[in-house]
Amino acid sequence: MSDAFVQLSDVTLMYGKSVAVPDLNLSIREGELICLLGPSGCGKTTTMRAIAGLLDPASGSIHIDGRDVTRVPANKRGIGLVFQSYALFPHLNAFENVAFGLRLQKLPEAEIRERTEAGLATVGLKGYDKRKPAEMSGGQQQRLALARSLVMKPKVLLLDEPLSNLDARLRLEMRTELQRVQKETGVTMVFVTHDQAEALALADRIVLMKEGKIEQLGTPADLYARPETAFAAEFMGFENIFRVEGSKVVTDSGTLELGFAPASPLLAWRPDGVSVGSGPHQGRVLATSFAGAHREYVLDTPLGPVKADAAIELPEVAIGETLAFDLPEATARPLSA
Amino acid sequence: MFRNTREGLALALPAAIFSTLLFLVPVGILLSEAFRFEGGWSLQGYIDFFATPLNRTVFLRTLKLGALVAGTAAVIGYAAAFCIVNLGPRARGTVFGMVVLPLMISPVARTYAWIVILGRTGIVNEAITGLGLSDTPLRLLFTETAVFLGLLQLFLPLMIISLVSAMENIPRDVIPAARVLGASWLAVFFKVILPLTKEGLVIGGTLVFTGSLTAYITPAILGGSKVLMLETLLYQRVNVSNDFVSASVIAMILIVMSFSANLLLKKIASARS
Amino acid sequence: MNTSSRLLANWVILGLTLTFLIGPFLIIILAGASDTSYLAFPPEGLTLRWYLKVFTVESFRASFLLSMALAVFGTLAALLLGVPAAYALNRYALPGAETVRTVVAAPIIVPGIIVGLALLRYLVVPTGVTVTLALFMAHTALVLPYAVRVVSSSMHNLRADMEEAAVLLGCSRFQAFTKVVLPNIRGGVLAAFILGFVTSFNQVPVSLFLSGPGVRTLPIDMLAYMEITFDPSVAALSALLAFMSLAIVFVAERLLGFSRYV
Ligand SMILES: Nc1ncnc2c1ncn2[C@@H]1O[C@H](COP(=O)(O)OP(=O)(O)OP(=O)(O)O)[C@@H](O)[C@H]1O
Ligand SMILES: [Mg+2]
Repeated sequence: MSDAFVQLSDVTLMYGKSVAVPDLNLSIREGELICLLGPSGCGKTTTMRAIAGLLDPASGSIHIDGRDVTRVPANKRGIGLVFQSYALFPHLNAFENVAFGLRLQKLPEAEIRERTEAGLATVGLKGYDKRKPAEMSGGQQQRLALARSLVMKPKVLLLDEPLSNLDARLRLEMRTELQRVQKETGVTMVFVTHDQAEALALADRIVLMKEGKIEQLGTPADLYARPETAFAAEFMGFENIFRVEGSKVVTDSGTLELGFAPASPLLAWRPDGVSVGSGPHQGRVLATSFAGAHREYVLDTPLGPVKADAAIELPEVAIGETLAFDLPEATARPLSA
Repeated sequence: MFRNTREGLALALPAAIFSTLLFLVPVGILLSEAFRFEGGWSLQGYIDFFATPLNRTVFLRTLKLGALVAGTAAVIGYAAAFCIVNLGPRARGTVFGMVVLPLMISPVARTYAWIVILGRTGIVNEAITGLGLSDTPLRLLFTETAVFLGLLQLFLPLMIISLVSAMENIPRDVIPAARVLGASWLAVFFKVILPLTKEGLVIGGTLVFTGSLTAYITPAILGGSKVLMLETLLYQRVNVSNDFVSASVIAMILIVMSFSANLLLKKIASARS
Repeated sequence: MNTSSRLLANWVILGLTLTFLIGPFLIIILAGASDTSYLAFPPEGLTLRWYLKVFTVESFRASFLLSMALAVFGTLAALLLGVPAAYALNRYALPGAETVRTVVAAPIIVPGIIVGLALLRYLVVPTGVTVTLALFMAHTALVLPYAVRVVSSSMHNLRADMEEAAVLLGCSRFQAFTKVVLPNIRGGVLAAFILGFVTSFNQVPVSLFLSGPGVRTLPIDMLAYMEITFDPSVAALSALLAFMSLAIVFVAERLLGFSRYV
C-alpha cells in the first residue's frame, strides 16, 4: 500500500441510479504500465474517467501521489487521457493541438515551441505541424493524441483502448512505440483494452475486470499461467473448463474418468495442454485446422466438444475419425468456483 | 461531467423562460379571451363567431385554399423533386439552390410580383387585350385564384425541399428494381416512391398547409377585402371593430388547424404502412 | 422512354417549376425600371429613377434602419439565448428537455399575427413598454427556434469527449466551450445568424400590430405605401431587397454551404 502512486479506496461509481463499479480498491505503482482488461461494459472506461476526474465517485476516495484528489476537478489533477476516439481538436493543426495545454499555462512562446516540437518528435510526427487532424491517418492521429497528453508531463497517463481503431500491423507498431515512450518518460500508464494478447504483451501488471469488480490482478505471466477463476481462465485461453466430481470431470453431456482426484471444484486445460495421439480416451474429430506450428482439433467426447492442439509432426486425422487423447494432471489448472 | 443538471438547466432555462413569458403567456391569455363572457366562462364567443355567415365563408375558404395549395404543391413537388434527384451532383446543387432562394426573399416582394402579372395593366391582361380576346381588362387580382397562385409560389419550395431530402434517402436501386419486376410508373410511384417518402410528404404538407393558413401578406395584397382569409379577417376585426373575441376565436382556429393538420397527416402516413 | 427524351422531360418540368418560382423576380426587376408613373409590364421605356427614388423616400429610410436593427439585434439576442440552450439540450440529460424543446420551438408553430396581437395587448398596453422594445422581443422570440435548431444540428456531430480532453489539458468548462466548441460550431452559428436575420427582416405578421407612429418595419411600410401610391417604386424596392437577400445567401452559400442548414 505504501508504494501506491494512484490509490482507489472503496470507490463506487454510478450512472444515475445504476451502479457501474461497486467498491473498487486498486493501487497503481509509480512508473508502471498497468492494463485494465475485461469484456465490453465491465467498467474499464468508467474507472478511468473516475481517475481522470471526469466522473465523481458516489463514495470512496482517490489519492494520487499521496494527495487526496477525490474532490479535485479534472483540470487541476494533472492527468493525461488519450481517448478511444482521440478527441483531437479538428479546428487546430497538429502543432496547435499539442500546444493547446501549454498555451493554457501561459508559458513563454519559446518554451511552448520547444516542448511542442519535442513532443511531436517523440511520437515520430516531426514535420507534420501544419496538418489538421482530418488530414492525418488513424495511426498518426493516435500518436498526435498521445503527444498532446505527453507534453503536459502528466503524473499519470490514461489510455482508453487507443489501439482498437488501428489495423493489425499498425497496432503492433504502436504497441512497441507505447512501451518505448513509457520507458523513456517513466510516466505511470493505465491502459484499457479488451484484447488479452495486447494486455499480455504490454502490461507490467494486468487488472482483469468483470461486471465492475476486479476478478484477478497480477503480472501477465501470473495471469497467463495461474488464472484463479473460470472467467479469468477463459480470458487467458483455457478453452476446456470442466466441473470436478471426485476423480471425474463432468459436463451436462457426460463424464470422464481422470485417474486422479483434484481438490478444486473446477479444472481447466488450454488446447495445448490436452495431449493427443495417445491416451485413455477416444474422441471423434469434429473439425480440424492447420495453425502453422500445430494443428487444432475439435473433438467430440463424452464431455461435449474438447479443443486440443496436436504437434505438427503427428499425422493428420480426418474429420469423422477417432483420436486418442488425455486430460493430464500436469497441465490441469485448478480453479475456484 | 455533463451530469450536473443544475448547470444544464441554467443554460437552457433563459431561452425557455423568455419564450414562455413573451410567447406562451400572452398567447395563452389571448386564446382564453373568447371563453370569457360576462364575467364567467362560456362558448358564446365561438357560437357568435360561427353564426356570422361571412366568418363561416372565410373559415371554409381558408381551409379550402390551404388544402388546395398543399395538394397542388405535393403534385408539382413530386415531379420537381424527382427531376432534381435525377440530376448530376453539380446541376442538382444549382437547381436546389434556386429552389431555396425564393425563401430568402421578402414575401412582400414575392407577392408584389403577382400584381405586376395579374394587375389591370399586367402581363396577362396586356396579352388578353392585345390578342383581342377581350376589350376590357379582366379582374384577376382580388380573386381566389390570385391568392392561390401567390400562396403556391410562396410555399412550393418548402414542399420540394422536404421531398428532395426524402427521396435522397431512397436506396439507389429500388426504383430500377421495381421497373425490372414489371411495375408501371404509376405502380412505382404508389408502391415504392410514395411509401418511402411519406415522411417528407408529411413534413412538406404540414409546412405548406400551415403556411397557407397563417400567411398574411399574400391574402392582404392579392385578396384584399374581397377575398378575406382568416388572417386578414383577424386583422380587420381588431383594427376596424376592436373585436378581440373574434380575434381570439380565429387565433384558436389557426392553432388548432395547424396542429390537427400535422396530426392528421402523420396518421395518414402511418396508416398506409 | 429512352434516355434523351427522359432527360428532356426532366428539364422541361424543372424549367417550368423554376420559371414559376423565380420568373416573378425577373418581372419585378424590369417593372421597377419602367419609365411610367404606374406599374407596367413589359416596361415602357427603361429608367433607373424608381430605383433611385427608393432611397429618397424618408419613411423607407427610417423603416429600413428599424428593420435592420431589429434583424441584427433580435438575432444576436436569440443567439445569446439559443446557443446555450442548444448546448444544454445536446450535452446534458435534462429532466425537462422535451418541454424546453417544445417551448422554445413554439413561436414557429403559432401564427405571427397572433403573437404580435398578444404582445400588443398584454405586454405593451398594460406595462407601457415601448413598441420598439416589444418588436425587438417579438423578433427575438421569432428567431429563437431557428437559432436553437440550426446550432443544435451543428453541435450534434461534435463529440463531448473533445471538451473533456480540453478540460484534462487544463481548461475550465467555460474555456473548453469557447476554445473548442465555439470554433467548431462557428459555421452553424453563422448560418443561424443569416437565417435569423433574413427571417426577421422579412417578417410581417408579427410586426403588423406592433407598429406605432413612426415605428414601422420596412415590409409594413411597403404595404402601407402600396395602398396609396401605384408608381413602380415598390417594385424597384422589392427588386433591391431581393438582390440584398440574394447577395447574403450567395456569400453564405460560398462560405458555409448554407442551404444544408435551411
Ligand atoms: N453515460 C452512461 N450512462 C449510463 N450508463 C453508462 C454510461 N456509460 C457507461 N455506462 C454503463 O456502465 C457500465 C460500464 O461501462 P464502461 O463504459 O465503463 O465499460 P467498458 O468496460 O469501458 O466497456 P467497453 O469495452 O465497451 O468500452 C456499462 O454497464 C455501461 O452500460
Ligand atoms: Mg470503454
